[in-house]
Amino acid sequence: MRVDETNVVADAGERHDTRAPALEFDRVVQDFRLPSGKGSRRVLDTISFAVRRGQFTAIVGPSGCGKSTLLHMAAGLLAPTSGAVRQDGVAITSVNRAIGFVPQQAQLLAWKTLRENVELPLLLRQVPRDERAERVREVLAAAGLAGFEDHYPHQLSGGMQKRASIARTLVYRPATILMDEPFGSLDAQTRMVMQDDLQSLWSRYSATIVFVTHDLTEAVILADNIVLLGSQPTRLKANVAIELARPRNVFQPFHTNRFAEFYDRVWAIFQSELARPAAETVAANADA
Amino acid sequence: MPTPDTLRGSARSHILGIVLRLLPAIVLLVIWQWASGRVIRTIYVSKPTDIAYRLYQIFASGEIYPDLLTTAQELLLGYAIGAAVGVTTGYLLARSPRLASIFEPYLMAFYGIPKIALAPLFIIWFGIGLWSKVALAALMVFFLVFYNVYMGVRSVDRDVVNMTMILGASERQLTRHVYLPAAAPFVIMGMRMAIPYSVIGVIVGEFTSSTRGLGLFIVQASSNYDPAGVFAGIAILLAFVIAANAGASRLERRLLRWRPSPSGTQHQEI
Repeated sequence: MRVDETNVVADAGERHDTRAPALEFDRVVQDFRLPSGKGSRRVLDTISFAVRRGQFTAIVGPSGCGKSTLLHMAAGLLAPTSGAVRQDGVAITSVNRAIGFVPQQAQLLAWKTLRENVELPLLLRQVPRDERAERVREVLAAAGLAGFEDHYPHQLSGGMQKRASIARTLVYRPATILMDEPFGSLDAQTRMVMQDDLQSLWSRYSATIVFVTHDLTEAVILADNIVLLGSQPTRLKANVAIELARPRNVFQPFHTNRFAEFYDRVWAIFQSELARPAAETVAANADA
Repeated sequence: MPTPDTLRGSARSHILGIVLRLLPAIVLLVIWQWASGRVIRTIYVSKPTDIAYRLYQIFASGEIYPDLLTTAQELLLGYAIGAAVGVTTGYLLARSPRLASIFEPYLMAFYGIPKIALAPLFIIWFGIGLWSKVALAALMVFFLVFYNVYMGVRSVDRDVVNMTMILGASERQLTRHVYLPAAAPFVIMGMRMAIPYSVIGVIVGEFTSSTRGLGLFIVQASSNYDPAGVFAGIAILLAFVIAANAGASRLERRLLRWRPSPSGTQHQEI
């Protein structure tokens, strides 16, 4: 039992079909019941895309288009109305403890110190004490949080809480990490620093990342490819590969070679979705 | 957050705060002492010096100890049983919507009954000894604790629960790492509010029918036209409630040290 739980994560790549994508959305449909209780509204309409192992994928779309819903399904918190979400070729049917999830709000446990919060996933997975201490120390150092171990979450700044939330995910080394607008609530400077740190942490821990954002610049500078969603109901508009060299300069994206080219390409698709109900109708009709 | 150079000042203002807080009590005692026998007849209100002397008498002679011991036992047992059952029931109902849908209406209906009215019934059921008072106190404590725990556990943020499940928590681990600590402020508040109610339960039980206890001591003093005795009994109860409250505050500070102090400034929201 002890050994098993830790190995699920470590062996995920070996135990499952290695040719299958790390994460695969297969004709996913999601209907939400209307508040009145009668009838339902289609939020996601037949979304299909795959995330390759080790890749950084950004999901971009207008607010309220169901980006977070996709992540919740991958986390096993929500079942698709039809279609399937598969991890390493296996359909996700219950809470997915093999992935990492970095939510919009840091959602640290307020009654635990920073160290206890980051240690929690290891404790829950019954990792031996010495190894826990070592791994927590290492990941806190990597996340730039050394020295704050005994602080409670309310004593940390928003940026530090976010780092803690990411460290808590990295510490148990999930092969795939889902991030739901993790930097949305940060100020511009903190956000750039966090983006830079995320980039280096990602290359260090070599995870597969699915990153939801509504910020195009963030998506282009961070991702290997961008999944673009349209709205009402949400359909997949495009899946664009961003072939920029790494490491990338998140502080001055427009100085990065070919950044503008990819930004423009994504913008051209994204543009039609921006807060123009009339334009949307036209686009939807054109699609049909 | 206090900076080091303001610490001295804050210690001084702390002492000043205590003095200021004691001032109304001192003023009241002085006026009471003065007015008794001048404005109001001493037979109605006694006077502080008489009460102090009476307290000295009953402790020096040891006549109060059997009553004190009985009441203390009833309080502790009643409180412990009521709180334990309250926490367990509150937690179970909050975690199981099915149990809640069955039992919530009953509990809410019983909650509405003035528990004091049950005192004569409990005397019939449990006799005039210890257990009728324990039952009454436990019942009063139960409802307060139950209600607070039930609300506390139900208000735990669903997103935090989901997050912790993804991090690997089983149901049992969720209880230990999320539900109980998240509900702790409510649990403690309920247990704190329940302290005076346990006293009411016990004393009313003793008033109704008993062979020993502080309640009986007060009733007897009253029927002997001994207001100093009545006030002495009340003073002992008061001391008990104050001590219990101070204990609860200490426990609260220890268990809830993770919370930002309510008077503190808002934490950084960058």
